[in-house]
Amino acid sequence: MATLRMQNVTKQFGRSVIAVKDFNLEVKEKEFLVLLGPSGCGKTTAMRMVAGLEEVTTGNIFIGDREVTELPPRKRNVSMIFQNYAVWPHMSVYDNIAFALKLKNIPKDEIDRIVKESASLAKIDMLLDRLPSQLSGGQQQRVAVSRAMAVDPDIFLMDEPLSNLDAKLRVSMRTELKAIHDKAGATTVFVTHDQSEAMSMADRIVIMKDGEVIQVGSPDDVYHRSRSIFVADFIGTPPTNFMDVKIKKESDGTHLVNPHLNLLLQPDMAEHFKNYNKDHLILGIRPENIIMVDQGEAALSAKCLVAEPQGSHQVVAIELDNNIIKSIAPANPTIIPGTDVHLNFKQETLRFFDPDTTLAIND
Amino acid sequence: MAKRIKKPIKLSKVISKTIFYMLIVTLAIAIILPAFFLVSLSFLSTREAYQYPLPLLPSMSTEYSLTHGNRGYLISVYDKFEEEYQTVLDTNELEKITVYMKNQLGTPYTIAEIEEQIAILESGAEDPVYFNARKNIFLNYISFFQISRDAVPALLRSFQIAGLTILVSLTIGGMAGYAFARYIFPGRDALKFSVLFVRMFPGVAIALPMVIILANMGFYDKPVGLVLVYSVGSIALTIWITASIFMGIPESLEEAAQVFGATKFQTFLRVTFPLALPGLAAAAMYAFLGAWNETVSAIILTQFNPTFPVVVYQALLGAVGNVNLAAAGGLVMAVPSLIFTFIIRRYIQQMWGGVTI
Amino acid sequence: MTAAAPAKRMRNFGSKAVPYLLIAPVVIYYIFFWIRPVLITVVKSFQSAAGAFTFQNYVMVFTDPNFLPALRNTAIIVVFSVTLEFLGALFLALLINRKFFGSSFFLFIAMIPMALPAVAVGAMWLTGFTAHGWINSLLYYVGIIAEGAKIYWLAGSEWKLLALIIIIDAWQVIPSVMIILLAGLQNIPEETIEAGYVFGGNYTTVLRKITVPLLGPTIQTAIILRLISAIQIWLVIVLLVGFSRMPVLVERIVYFHEEVPALDISPLMASGYTIIVSVIVSLAALLYLRVSGAFGGKKEAS
Repeated sequence: MATLRMQNVTKQFGRSVIAVKDFNLEVKEKEFLVLLGPSGCGKTTAMRMVAGLEEVTTGNIFIGDREVTELPPRKRNVSMIFQNYAVWPHMSVYDNIAFALKLKNIPKDEIDRIVKESASLAKIDMLLDRLPSQLSGGQQQRVAVSRAMAVDPDIFLMDEPLSNLDAKLRVSMRTELKAIHDKAGATTVFVTHDQSEAMSMADRIVIMKDGEVIQVGSPDDVYHRSRSIFVADFIGTPPTNFMDVKIKKESDGTHLVNPHLNLLLQPDMAEHFKNYNKDHLILGIRPENIIMVDQGEAALSAKCLVAEPQGSHQVVAIELDNNIIKSIAPANPTIIPGTDVHLNFKQETLRFFDPDTTLAIND
Repeated sequence: MAKRIKKPIKLSKVISKTIFYMLIVTLAIAIILPAFFLVSLSFLSTREAYQYPLPLLPSMSTEYSLTHGNRGYLISVYDKFEEEYQTVLDTNELEKITVYMKNQLGTPYTIAEIEEQIAILESGAEDPVYFNARKNIFLNYISFFQISRDAVPALLRSFQIAGLTILVSLTIGGMAGYAFARYIFPGRDALKFSVLFVRMFPGVAIALPMVIILANMGFYDKPVGLVLVYSVGSIALTIWITASIFMGIPESLEEAAQVFGATKFQTFLRVTFPLALPGLAAAAMYAFLGAWNETVSAIILTQFNPTFPVVVYQALLGAVGNVNLAAAGGLVMAVPSLIFTFIIRRYIQQMWGGVTI
Repeated sequence: MTAAAPAKRMRNFGSKAVPYLLIAPVVIYYIFFWIRPVLITVVKSFQSAAGAFTFQNYVMVFTDPNFLPALRNTAIIVVFSVTLEFLGALFLALLINRKFFGSSFFLFIAMIPMALPAVAVGAMWLTGFTAHGWINSLLYYVGIIAEGAKIYWLAGSEWKLLALIIIIDAWQVIPSVMIILLAGLQNIPEETIEAGYVFGGNYTTVLRKITVPLLGPTIQTAIILRLISAIQIWLVIVLLVGFSRMPVLVERIVYFHEEVPALDISPLMASGYTIIVSVIVSLAALLYLRVSGAFGGKKEAS
């Protein structure tokens, strides 16, 4: 196992398409790092450069102490799980897993041992004689996992390996992959566009957009301390609620107001605006941090648009000028659409964003 | 952020890329060159065709000089290769001159136009008189069709036969293709095997016995006879193509039509057929190409009513010197082939890429 | 799979008859215009002029002085066409299997040889290889031969002629096969090849262990169709050197049927050779069908 360092890595396709811009990343040993972002953000390209499947336009890549920037894939000691599994259809499962081992001239019985061990970890040890065409999608994916593990690489690369599985399988495979990672103690880079996947698996998440890194942090960091509107919106289901508000300094303190809202900020929250010059900002609050209160205590009142019972809780949606705000309320009493709801916020969780830079004002 | 990325250049890459492109260009030239000459030759005049070395590019016009000669008028032609005027005719029969200019050099000139030039000569204004005559580059093609008396009827016959073959193949073959695509029935594998086998079977092997069979039916040396023989292989190919086309159309579309009240036939007409049309067009062109290009069977099964490839074949057999006429004939044969092959090139690639036999 | 079968049978009435109705025309057509002619030829080949059963026809063919040369020439051409030309096409296909500037135009050009009909190709090379043809002219312009000097291409030994034929054949075959192989290559998912590199392969290893095996079915199909075509080569040869100068199997058939039809032995020779060609081709076809499992029902085109 080794560390991975990407230094000022840029990837340019043709003359004008810059897929990855000045990418800097350090992955610690045994860390499970997730590259997260929407399609086209450059996450897969970044990973493919680590694998050696894409040439680096400028920049350097280091695995451990070695610089690997110019090396072909086979000399980097990485392994990869591809999105479409890429198991070789003309070889048995056994041969698929043994492929790399044979190329390293490892003695036959050793190969046999490794293959069987790896296959049992991935729970496909009884399928070793089969051809991929005889396996289901989930089984093929396990073959890909087993193949990747068998080579005992410095770095594990996983390119959206769960995207092609059905929902239930995806969730159970998450746990399995994570367990394999923990057991093998492998440094892993995992690419996905699914934020809940990233949140549940990652030690750290790198959020990317349009080839650039937006935020790096633990799931906790990116969730509670989102650095930009993009992150706050991307992470979390349902995502952060946003409201345009004006800052009004009044005698009893700082208020955040808009046509529907009047919120008196706690003094420590108002501290965040010390160096902020504008008089308006975008307020971000997550649904679970909006609480239902009595009318007298409310910062915000509106008619309930929809209430979605989820068993353990309900998601209550209100509409303010074409902006839908969702909050999470206890399962009982059931809120009836059309009735008034009165809401207030857990202020310590509020995030403030500059409307022009979209970056967070609180640190 | 400004686009200040400068991609580093590696010498080894530049070298390998250069070699690569050199290879590509060489290949392209090797492929085009013979074809180029075929085209170029078809536009050469007879005189040019007898020259050695052959001109690389056909001339578009010829320079003549006219002066007095022993027997009347001396006509000389400017030879680009030797870079001098060479005497070709010494006569006072104007008819001879125009015939020569047309047949040997492809530059048709009327008697009136010759008289014009003679008038200039006689007036004393110039001696010799130099004039330029434009070439009709399609003269070879016209000559080909005139000299081989069979050529035009043969051409028409070829089109006719190809068209009928398309009809027969698409109907019979298309029906069977649909059956293969949509149904599983006993004997399906056996039939599939047979169809494949027929497709690979040599066409010439059927042609010989068919001589007698067709003669008995009264179809020997008739287009219908050829259609019957061509269709044997053509149907097999069409079945294979149409089967894969129909398999590519989801059954759910047909089922939806039936749910909404259509009969099977209406479903086929309104839903399946329109969707299959591009593929069927490709199958039709395939059938056309097969029938159009077929030579051996045509030679065997026709006598006085040959198809076009047979005419070209016979012309080529006898064409020792007239390379230009032969080239013209060959090119006429090639043009529909080239056109249709290019139109369906994606289908060709799809067929080979996706489906094994 | 099992859900589909009963659903098919549940269709409107008469559905059972429909497939048979659809394939009836083919079956009938082939009975009349394929099985019957083939049977007739086979039967006749064992009949003497009087109608008695005999092997004499075959003896005649086998003792024809041109039989062995025809067989040999055909065999040589087939071997070269199927192996060397094929390998060349494979090499080229692998080489150019990538998007490069002008690649679609190049492929466009590469389709020309396969699009030309046999007589056009014949015209092309005939006009080239005659003494004052365009090949000699081109060589002169390029400076390889002197003015007035001509290479008499067609007046060489048999081996030189064969070499010439093979080169001519290569002109048409290599681009065509290359296009077919390229189509097959493009069907292999990129990731499958990349995985080969990630898991330790260099260029040759990936080629050998992954690319070529996955190309297998395409290669198989292309080889067999090429084989069948090559066995039946004749037109270009006849146009270049006439009949009997360099005999090949199908050339013999045309010779006896068209050039010397009045001879007593001609019909018998023609049909004898026809049967030989048919047998060879059929064996090749059967071999292929068996090897590719096409009638084992395994490789249903999906």
